[in-house]
Amino acid sequence: MRVYLFGYASDDFVGRVLVTPDERTVAELGRQLVAWGLDPERHGAITVRNESGEILEPADTIAQAGLSNGDIFTVERG
Amino acid sequence: MVLRRDDWLDIARKVDWTPRYVDERSLFPEQISGRPWLAHEAWQDWSEAYRTTYREYVANQREKDAAVLGVRAALSKPRLVDELDPGWLELVKFHNGAIALAEYAGAVAELRMARFGRDSAWRMMATLGALDEIRHTQIPLLIGSDLLSHDRNFDWTHKAYHTNQWVILAARHLFDDMFLAADALDLAIQLNFVFETGFTNLQFMAMAALADRAHHHLFEKTLASIQTDEARHAQIGHPVMRTLLDNGSRQRAQYLVDKMWWRCWRVFLALTGTAMEYLTPLGARTRSFKEFMTEWVTEQFIKNLAEFDLEKPWFWDLFVEELDYAHHSFQLGLYTYRTTLWFDVASPNAAERSWLNDKYPRWNDVYAPLWDRLEGRWQGNGETNTLSYGLPALCNLCQLPTLFIGPGRNTACTLAMNGRRYLFCSEPCRWIFQQEPQRFAGHKSVVDRIVAGEAPGKLIDLQQWMGLTTPAENGKDLRRGLDPWRLDPVPTA
Repeated sequence: MRVYLFGYASDDFVGRVLVTPDERTVAELGRQLVAWGLDPERHGAITVRNESGEILEPADTIAQAGLSNGDIFTVERG
Repeated sequence: MVLRRDDWLDIARKVDWTPRYVDERSLFPEQISGRPWLAHEAWQDWSEAYRTTYREYVANQREKDAAVLGVRAALSKPRLVDELDPGWLELVKFHNGAIALAEYAGAVAELRMARFGRDSAWRMMATLGALDEIRHTQIPLLIGSDLLSHDRNFDWTHKAYHTNQWVILAARHLFDDMFLAADALDLAIQLNFVFETGFTNLQFMAMAALADRAHHHLFEKTLASIQTDEARHAQIGHPVMRTLLDNGSRQRAQYLVDKMWWRCWRVFLALTGTAMEYLTPLGARTRSFKEFMTEWVTEQFIKNLAEFDLEKPWFWDLFVEELDYAHHSFQLGLYTYRTTLWFDVASPNAAERSWLNDKYPRWNDVYAPLWDRLEGRWQGNGETNTLSYGLPALCNLCQLPTLFIGPGRNTACTLAMNGRRYLFCSEPCRWIFQQEPQRFAGHKSVVDRIVAGEAPGKLIDLQQWMGLTTPAENGKDLRRGLDPWRLDPVPTA
């Protein structure tokens, strides 16, 4: 199922809307967000958190991580 | 014998007829006169500090209009417009689009108080206020019309409020809340007490000072003339606030103050903060936006609160923190989404960066790297690589993008209600929404409309939907990437 989420990358300045299948993994979601930002080419580790600040398991699907329509997530770039 | 002005004015401004065919509650229904409903005895001492007769009003306004039109006639030569700084002209275009028809909504608000205000002196002041606001609509329409021969996008002076352009939707959401969907009591607190005594000094007097130094004397004269009207009818707010507080409505008054302070701040950082520091020529900048806000808005507002023994809004610390960051983040949003605007947007050059860092000591650390990346992307792959193509997340209260207010400082939050999840840029926006959910919950942001299929998802179609019907209308990089400094390494801290 496609869901829309609001993502914030730590090196960006604005929240961005992502529409994505919720079968994708949390790691893919994080990479999708930074691809929209100002520094997509930079490599390095990323950490994805939900609105409560809990770290999400990278291998989990978006659905397994509990993210659904209208949720916020943040991506911290190393 | 002809009576002298002071012999009759007190009586004339206090003609409160005793209704014979309906009772007072029917004449001034609570739904539109405001809550708490108080009998007229509570309002009979309502008094404005500076009294004006209609005769005086007409004479003064005629003089003020003659002064503005005189400057317009003297400075009508096209070359004088050509000599203005290009960034400044974009500022005028931005200001006119966002303000001109908002003033007309202000006229509707004043007319509501002119009918449903609870004392005749209040109604008289509001009648003059309505005439003021009509004037404040007409003057920028006239100036905007004059500028059409220079740049046809000045038609957004009139057009903007008839479009779905996203900045205008945000402004309209605020002004609908403050002006059009408010009763007379709420209007007096929101419009007169908070907006006019708090913020219009910034938009009109501070901007007039900048216009003078930018050599745009017609705009300077216009703004200063408008603010003299604002200062007069703004005084409606104080006696209404006094009556509310004297009659047990402190909590309601405090809520309206808190709510409207935050809502006005959101729109002013987006409109005035960015315009002052990214479109005003460097030589014209007398103070930073933060300095203007502190001196012209915050200090005066604190005095007003102290006069009524009201508290500072509960989110004051966040507001103070945002003074250093929020409009700089917003400028990046304007720049990278510039094709969705009706005016051009600047990226700061080396001298402007230096000025910004003098005024905001963390600017080089926080914002210079982001502008550097945009510069690098322009140099590497051309202008199109400096644009954002994904949708920004929009706040369901202020309708503006949810921005970081500092490095990694994300204040966005959500609220689930009646099967829908709402997004907010900050706790204050969520708090306002929660106080009156029935007022705000049905509204859809641009993003909500795209997700629901009510607005197009493709950028070009979306631009059309927002009223940007030809490529010539779309905002561009102010300097078109042609400045030599763009080819040089960008200095950073």
